[in-house]
Amino acid sequence: MAATPTPLEVRNIKKRFGDTEVLKGLSLQAQKGDVITLIGASGSGKSTFLRCMNLLEQPDDGDLIVHGEPIRFKTTRHGREPEDWKQVVQMRAKLSMVFQSFNLWAHMTLLENIIEAPIHVLKKPKKEALEHAHALLDRVGLTARANAYPAQMSGGQQQRGAIARALAMDPEVMLFDEPTSALDPELVGDVLKVMHGLAEEGRTMVVVTHEMGFARDVSSQVIYLHQGLVEEAGPPEQVLGNPQSSRLQQFLAPKY
Amino acid sequence: MIDLQGYGPRLIEGAGVTVQLAVLSLILAIILGLLTASAKMSRNWLLRRTATVYTTLIRGVPDLVLMMLLFFGGQIGVNAISDMLYYNYDIDIYINFNAFAAGVLTIGFIFGAYMGETFRGAFMAVDNGQIEAGKAYGMSNGLVFRRIRFPQMMRHALPGLSNNWMVLLKTTALVSVIGLTDMVRVAAEASRATHEPFTFLLPVAVVYLLIASVSEWIFARLQKHYDIGFGGQ
Repeated sequence: MAATPTPLEVRNIKKRFGDTEVLKGLSLQAQKGDVITLIGASGSGKSTFLRCMNLLEQPDDGDLIVHGEPIRFKTTRHGREPEDWKQVVQMRAKLSMVFQSFNLWAHMTLLENIIEAPIHVLKKPKKEALEHAHALLDRVGLTARANAYPAQMSGGQQQRGAIARALAMDPEVMLFDEPTSALDPELVGDVLKVMHGLAEEGRTMVVVTHEMGFARDVSSQVIYLHQGLVEEAGPPEQVLGNPQSSRLQQFLAPKY
Repeated sequence: MIDLQGYGPRLIEGAGVTVQLAVLSLILAIILGLLTASAKMSRNWLLRRTATVYTTLIRGVPDLVLMMLLFFGGQIGVNAISDMLYYNYDIDIYINFNAFAAGVLTIGFIFGAYMGETFRGAFMAVDNGQIEAGKAYGMSNGLVFRRIRFPQMMRHALPGLSNNWMVLLKTTALVSVIGLTDMVRVAAEASRATHEPFTFLLPVAVVYLLIASVSEWIFARLQKHYDIGFGGQ
């Protein structure tokens, strides 16, 4: 038994949209400091799986345990849903998500974006939230853009800002949903650099990505999904360095 | 200067009634509109159904007819209830159906339906990713509404809202049929008594225009405020 509870554990997650079963029983356990990358072709269910972890999607079956606390579910005529939304809200505050399309709040400046949830969700004093925010802006190299609105920033800046917003919550686990997929190639590097730093300082992260270099360099575990099932999982040198299935070999092969 | 032949103070009083009536009706209409929009987007069948019946009914029946129906019908309803209470339980209550309150309720009720449509469209125009970000950061539904959904919805709602307000303002002129003394009614009375319609109706028209101009200025300010961050600054 570990001294601190496992930050995030999901067991046997199943999800269907209409007649299509997109997740056929997926499990994952993120210990403190783990960086777990989920890879797979589009439609493999990796983003849906990630969105089930903070219940932006409601799984039809399976368990979700955040920091040792299992989320309680009930079944209604609309399907399975959380028994207590307050518990979900508290759980979500422990997990920060970074979205593919950034989703910084458009009507707020970058600084306002960063202090929003700490003040209104975590009830931090404004002064403290601001101090933290400025430190984070410095860290992601956006001090000069503190008072800019998201629409005035480049995609790379927005995504780094979104990472600062995520860090402001002091999250147990950070969830990244294809954080570089919507960026111009020359902006990807800056974002990956920031994520690299986070991994190095021991942040617990679950990352859906197409950046194989990043997966190879920082992951403690790589999970390759195919059609809602884990096809291969393990340390990167094994999964990426010595893929067993022909499907994964093909997935990793150069596309040109 | 126009000689208002002693009707001046009453006209001003009437203008006050018009403004109060319009503003209070607007507030009620906005509340009802938000509720209607939420009901229409709810997954509860009964709520959706009720909201649809409400908007269809209101939009299909002339305002004047509705106003009389609600005012006189409401009075009969209240009387029936008080009679019932008196005969069956010996409770004696007397409610005078206040014309001003009836006016606010009726106009608010009518425009709530229009506002509902305006707000529904506006809510649907908000990017879902913005809402999801709120949820993902541990915001409750109420907090998401207050901090994200509402402020982002307003920029889409304001053009329709200001349009509804202008129509609402002019609809207040109908309240004279239920005996409320707004400025139109004072002007009409004065015109009949003095046979000088223009003396009284022209100032009334000017006051309406004035209110409309002030409102346009306010709405322009609001639009600017809610456009911040969307390339509007």
